[in-house]
Amino acid sequence: MDFGLSPEQDILKTTARDFFAEQAPTTLLREMRNQRPPYPADLWKKMADLGWMAIAIPEKYGGVGGSIHDLMVLVEEMGRAAFPGPLFTSLIGGIAIDILGSEKQKAELLPPIAAGKAVASLAILEPSLSMGADGIALTASHSAGGYSLSGTKLFVSDVEAADYLVVAARTGEGSGEDGISAILVNVKSAGSRLSVTRLDTVPVEDYYEVVFDGVVVGESAVLGQAGQAWNGLNRVAQIAAVAKCVDMVGAGQRMVETAVAHAKERVQFGRPIGSFQAIQHHCANAATAVDSARLIANKAVWMLNEGMECTKIVSMAKSFGADSHRRVTQLTHQVTGGVGLIIEHDLPMFTYRALASELLFGTPAEHRELVAQELGL
Amino acid sequence: MHFGFTPTQEQLRAEVKAFCEQELTPEAAAEFASGVGPGPAAKEFYRKLGAKGWLTVSWPRKYGGLDGSHTDQLIVSDELEYQGVKSNRVGSSMAGPTILLCGGEETKAEWLPKIAAGGIEFALGYTEPDAGSDLAALDIRAVEDGDDYVINGSKIFNTATHYADYHWLGARTDPNAPKHKGVSLFIVDLTSPGITIKPLWVLSGQRTNVVYYDNVRVPKRNLVGEKNRGFYHIATALDFERMFPCGGIRRDFHRVVATARETTTNGRPQGKDPLVRQAIAEFAAELEVAELLSYQMAWLVDNGTVPTKEASMNKTYVTELEGRLGDLAMHIFGPRFMLREGSKWAQAEGAGAWNYLSSYVSCIYGGTNEIQRNIIATRGLGLPR
Repeated sequence: MDFGLSPEQDILKTTARDFFAEQAPTTLLREMRNQRPPYPADLWKKMADLGWMAIAIPEKYGGVGGSIHDLMVLVEEMGRAAFPGPLFTSLIGGIAIDILGSEKQKAELLPPIAAGKAVASLAILEPSLSMGADGIALTASHSAGGYSLSGTKLFVSDVEAADYLVVAARTGEGSGEDGISAILVNVKSAGSRLSVTRLDTVPVEDYYEVVFDGVVVGESAVLGQAGQAWNGLNRVAQIAAVAKCVDMVGAGQRMVETAVAHAKERVQFGRPIGSFQAIQHHCANAATAVDSARLIANKAVWMLNEGMECTKIVSMAKSFGADSHRRVTQLTHQVTGGVGLIIEHDLPMFTYRALASELLFGTPAEHRELVAQELGL
Repeated sequence: MHFGFTPTQEQLRAEVKAFCEQELTPEAAAEFASGVGPGPAAKEFYRKLGAKGWLTVSWPRKYGGLDGSHTDQLIVSDELEYQGVKSNRVGSSMAGPTILLCGGEETKAEWLPKIAAGGIEFALGYTEPDAGSDLAALDIRAVEDGDDYVINGSKIFNTATHYADYHWLGARTDPNAPKHKGVSLFIVDLTSPGITIKPLWVLSGQRTNVVYYDNVRVPKRNLVGEKNRGFYHIATALDFERMFPCGGIRRDFHRVVATARETTTNGRPQGKDPLVRQAIAEFAAELEVAELLSYQMAWLVDNGTVPTKEASMNKTYVTELEGRLGDLAMHIFGPRFMLREGSKWAQAEGAGAWNYLSSYVSCIYGGTNEIQRNIIATRGLGLPR
């Protein structure tokens, strides 16, 4: 066994940590939440120059050719920085096209994504809120020369910043996993039959409702084989779920450090509150929760990276990671007291972000149900 | 990053399993399950394990080890626990490692090969009536007299003293020094004149003991490490005690899952009840984490780190997980949870109440979980004392 990073990954980690600390201080992050688009353009360009959108895209498509594990090293630092905006969306969108697309589609679509010139956002979840194949009801009916899409997608990320949507749709008569296709929709040219509404959430990131009312696309918009996309979509969703786990680990680590620093500095009754056992135990429990979640998330990363069958470990990691992260959130708020509640404090940014990480790409209860199935129940 | 075992390690685990199937007699298995410590059959089994080198895989060959890694040792212990064997012996997992780290060459040569061979066992002699979590307050006195120390005082919760051969004793050798700096470690023959051992039974059916020392003479050469540095030697060894194999919990979890699959309530298998499914799945993830915490510990030690924060996290997590397995089994078994193994209506080979009750014990011993959290906070996170 080896619980460590490679020397190259250590460099990536340090580079990312330093970059976010310098270029994306928490004051800027708070401003970004109210801006459209959220990033200053130069920040996006700097990340593109570092090759981050390209990290897991193969070299022949203009990418860096890194592994899933490399990608996760970056994502952990994004979590640690509570870094908002379409970078996460872009990374997952690139993986989706790489997994689902044909050679020709990849050669056309991936180079601009790798260069940070285009963003694709994944659109799977629907009002049924089910992460399984049964939850896909959006139809893409075949007609002369193409498909017509009708239905609704929910919690699609960063649609205003996106050029493409990768839409899970039913093209076939089948039910369940059969007959599901992944269809590429160009957001900018879809016309008035595509309506995009920003969801009024607590200040997590940007999520949208996307309504398709007969949006027409050509035959070539189907990524890979028509009706055969579920396995690929499921793998993308697994990678995204694990990326959320890793994001929560990075965020949780930062939250614990924030709480511990507060406990060392804050004096009451003439002593730093960190000398009180009640506070110490909150910190110890939070640190244990983060370290535990890191172990199981990393095991899931490793298994994904090795291409192993990983339904069970992904679902264990996501349910455990989400529950742990909620505990970390609660405990670190308890330690930081009143000051940690003020919206100018760093902690609320993480508290908001935690909700999206915990609830998207499968809730803890949904993932536990998958684990139960894997255990033969 | 790599979370798999090597083919050699997989083979090692398979060998241990096959060995247990061959050599673990019903008598020995019953002794391991009894809570009163190993009897003649279990002791014989330990000698066989010793002959394979499996009690002390990571020790140097010249002391009876296999020059293996701590990960290999954990694999062996993990599989032994799965097979129902108590793998954490005081001699091989606490006294021995402390001798290896802190003992002189003569002490090493005298004791380590015997421990490795599985022929002798130690009992921990730390806790006293007024020195529990505050271990440094221990007050049993050892006074120099000629070639010996003469020891007077008493110990409590010294499990294993009734079947072990030697006491791994912390005693005060300098009453005038600050309390951490006046303790020494001794190896005491438990058959020495002046020692009285009385049983103390705890709620989980396990036996522990009160031990009285009345002018017990111990040769000076039985002092381990440096005089008055005993507390620091003890602290080092506690980090080793907390490399927790989860094999026993894993086996009982498998039994609980099988029970949920096979038991029908109101015409529906329990495993189809959404609440049961959620609870089992939650536990499966927690067990995975517990195992990773243990193997991470082994990996850290193999890479030259003495884990402190991680050791305390491991201890706390695994012992509390044991209790949660009880919660889970209680949920699934209902009133049958109370039944002991062998009882007509018992489920999952009695993997119910006794395990649940023993978690009350394990959350206290080896440093209470509160003390572990203090260690995580102060030594791990740097919070002020």
